[in-house]
Amino acid sequence: MSKKKFSVNGTFKDSVNTIKFLTERRQFVDSAPAVLPTRTDDFGVNKVAKSLHPKEQKLVISRIEEHADIAKSYYFKSETELAYFKAGQYLTFKLEIGNSVVTRSYSIASSPASALNGEYQITVKRIADGFVSDYILDNWNVGDEVIAYAPEGNMTYCPLRDAKNIVAIAGGSGITPFLSLARAIDQGDENCTLTLLYGCRTSNEILFKSELDSLSEKNEKINVVYVLSNSDEDGYEKGFVGADIIKKYAPEGNYSIFVCGPGGLYKFLETELPKLQIERKYIRFEVFSSGKKVDEEPKEFNITVINRGNETVIKASSNETVLCAFERAGIEVPARCHTGECGFCRSKLVSGKVYIPEGEDKRRIADMQFNFIHPCCCYPESDLVIRIN
Amino acid sequence: MVKNYDAVVIGAGNGGLVASARLAKEGKKTLLIERHNLPGGFATSFVRGRFEFEASLHELCGIGSITGKSPLLKIFQEVGAADKIEWVALDEAYRLLTLDENEKCDYLMPLGKDAFINKLEEYDPGSSTVVTKIFDLIESIEKTLDFVSNIEDFKPSMIKEIFSEHTDFLKVANYSVDEVLKSFGASQKTRDILNGYWCYLGQPTDELNVIHYFTMLHSYIIDGAVIPRGRSHQISTALLEAFTENGGEAWFNTSVKKINVENGVATGVVLDDGTQINAKVVICNASPYNAFTKLIDENAIPEKLKKEVNAKTLSAKGFAVFLGLNRSADELGLNNHTYFIYPTNDNRKCYELSKNLETNDVQATVCLNRAFDDCSPEDTSILYMTSIFAGDEWSKVSVKDYHKTKYAFAEKMIDNFEKATGVKIKDYIEEIEIATPMTYARYTDAPAGTIYGYEASKEDGIVKRIVFDLIDKGIPGLYFAGGYTTRHMGYSPSYTTGDMAAKNAILAMEKEVK
Repeated sequence: MSKKKFSVNGTFKDSVNTIKFLTERRQFVDSAPAVLPTRTDDFGVNKVAKSLHPKEQKLVISRIEEHADIAKSYYFKSETELAYFKAGQYLTFKLEIGNSVVTRSYSIASSPASALNGEYQITVKRIADGFVSDYILDNWNVGDEVIAYAPEGNMTYCPLRDAKNIVAIAGGSGITPFLSLARAIDQGDENCTLTLLYGCRTSNEILFKSELDSLSEKNEKINVVYVLSNSDEDGYEKGFVGADIIKKYAPEGNYSIFVCGPGGLYKFLETELPKLQIERKYIRFEVFSSGKKVDEEPKEFNITVINRGNETVIKASSNETVLCAFERAGIEVPARCHTGECGFCRSKLVSGKVYIPEGEDKRRIADMQFNFIHPCCCYPESDLVIRIN
Repeated sequence: MVKNYDAVVIGAGNGGLVASARLAKEGKKTLLIERHNLPGGFATSFVRGRFEFEASLHELCGIGSITGKSPLLKIFQEVGAADKIEWVALDEAYRLLTLDENEKCDYLMPLGKDAFINKLEEYDPGSSTVVTKIFDLIESIEKTLDFVSNIEDFKPSMIKEIFSEHTDFLKVANYSVDEVLKSFGASQKTRDILNGYWCYLGQPTDELNVIHYFTMLHSYIIDGAVIPRGRSHQISTALLEAFTENGGEAWFNTSVKKINVENGVATGVVLDDGTQINAKVVICNASPYNAFTKLIDENAIPEKLKKEVNAKTLSAKGFAVFLGLNRSADELGLNNHTYFIYPTNDNRKCYELSKNLETNDVQATVCLNRAFDDCSPEDTSILYMTSIFAGDEWSKVSVKDYHKTKYAFAEKMIDNFEKATGVKIKDYIEEIEIATPMTYARYTDAPAGTIYGYEASKEDGIVKRIVFDLIDKGIPGLYFAGGYTTRHMGYSPSYTTGDMAAKNAILAMEKEVK
């Protein structure tokens, strides 16, 4: 086959062309300057990428706002720029509490525009058994420096996917991502309407009421409805946010439902939302961990943790997630969401058995094949060997 | 802390993974360092809602689903990763569509040499004689490349053999695809169809080296293409598993701060926590931009290497839209696996138009359900669209305008897809994720968000790179693997250069022992 006579421009010209090949390339390289190339970080695209997704952010608490004795808002500034975000995203903070190293995520309450002006706001509510939230509420002071990672999270308005009208269902401190969205709409940074159905036990527990009222008042794209479960007060809906209330206040036509709140709210909505007969794509939950696994008689196991070739043995209870055992032992893992979704804590289960609650296994197909786990939603069922790095 | 290894590999991208797996398989004590929490670099996947999206792979060649010619599969087998990956063979090459009303076309091309030639004959009657000759040349070139790549012990007599037996190769070695196809008298339509894959290399065919493109046609159309069932993340994880099974150590969430070069020879690396790793060889899967500006002392870098990086131009910057649709591919009418949608068949024009956000209408789109329907839950489907930007347009996009710009371009791609195929998808988007050049920069440190490394320009085509790589030597003890080496950036080339880097390093270690 290769014996066949073939030429492009004639045998002679083709040969000359092939020889030219060497000199052309030599000249091409030789004529370039012998200086260091551009640093990757100095390319325009890479600069924006770094600015959107810094490895971590050093934040200083600039102001603390008390919301009765229910919650506190923390305002942060930084010496460097703050990473921009989409309304609905959260910040993950890294804290050292005693011997533990923990990460916890809080939805950003401030608007994306305020990040460009150098400020973030989160709101922390006091809850029962809130190990980290208690620590924050009791220990964070103005002037303190804290570490947060870049904003993450997928409960954000996407014009290509969501309906133009958002019906947001907030329970308790689950109001914060929607406060951010309302502010973003008001500032012209999001082009959707917002019907906010905000569920609380009593009117005393409503956070940001005056701001929400004024946003609702002045901006026709924003409508806020308060729904009280434990008290009957004038000017408020009574009960839980369910199908009836949604139907009563939802705008004409298509709408997307966004939900953020405690586990109880999700359980209730599981039976309520199907009554609306809307497609799955129009319902989005901010994923929270479904709560704790409760064993009547929790068992204790050993976890051998392999980190950069070094082995450490720690204790773990069948009642706590593997990540929780890491945190208590002061083992730093790059965890973010704590719900199995983000995949940052992905680790290799070298041996042993874990329990993953139904619906929380959001691993990749190949990770299941090769026994990689997300420690944030795994409970030990035997002694384990886990390679985290 | 000081630790000693035979080899240290910087980066668990495709090149770094294969290099590591090869080194461990050959009994070398190897440490693989990766700054992220998972392996693969570009070769990964991500989960949104009830969908797992492939991050970058459209089709993989080199597995030889048709002819059994499978250089890549051989590597995976040798390093112990092959039986961990489940391949699905594709039967379609591509469906080629244009948006230009005046030259609207719609060609559906199969994989397999005969099937491809027959189909082309249907679209362009009378073309088969010419196209058969073109495929003869493609196969002839492949023979030469096989001959050259199998040379283990070079003998002067081989030069004679090259000049007598491999004249086809020598004659076309410095021509562009267009020059060669025109010399066959191939019609415009035949050339349009044959050039369909140009967007996978990001270079117009009037300057793209013919050997480069014909090798690609061989590996896709003649040898066949596949997709891994567990997404490319399955390949990455399988390689990592094979590596650790053979005694390799991989440290994730770990960065390299410095490559040590002593008396002109690479001797190891320093990690972010100050740990010093001494190694006989260092394999670098990071780009030279990072290696030369962050990792190696400037005075340890030979002038030639600096010049070489500066002479080159960065290739296409990537943009991708990942869609989880709440209808089945059948119901929507997504009948094909690979769609190439171009503004026009003139790929030089497409390339120039792709420098600008407003005018770029290039897309390569995959419906994964056409490879295997159970890639997504029942009554759903997965579609992912990739575009390429020739210029550096995205560097002008500010942080504030970022989301708006990204949605606007994604929407245009969806509109173009609907317009070209007549398939409506917009109302069925249950999950969407969008990757911009910033996303690639974020996850892989790709300079300017390029997904193809250096441009395969006339001056820097892969044949020239390979020849000069044999002549010009870099820093002894330091071997580059992956997308910025002799081959173009891409799956098959990066795996191949990873393997070559490891083999060269092993040879050097053995010489040292002697």
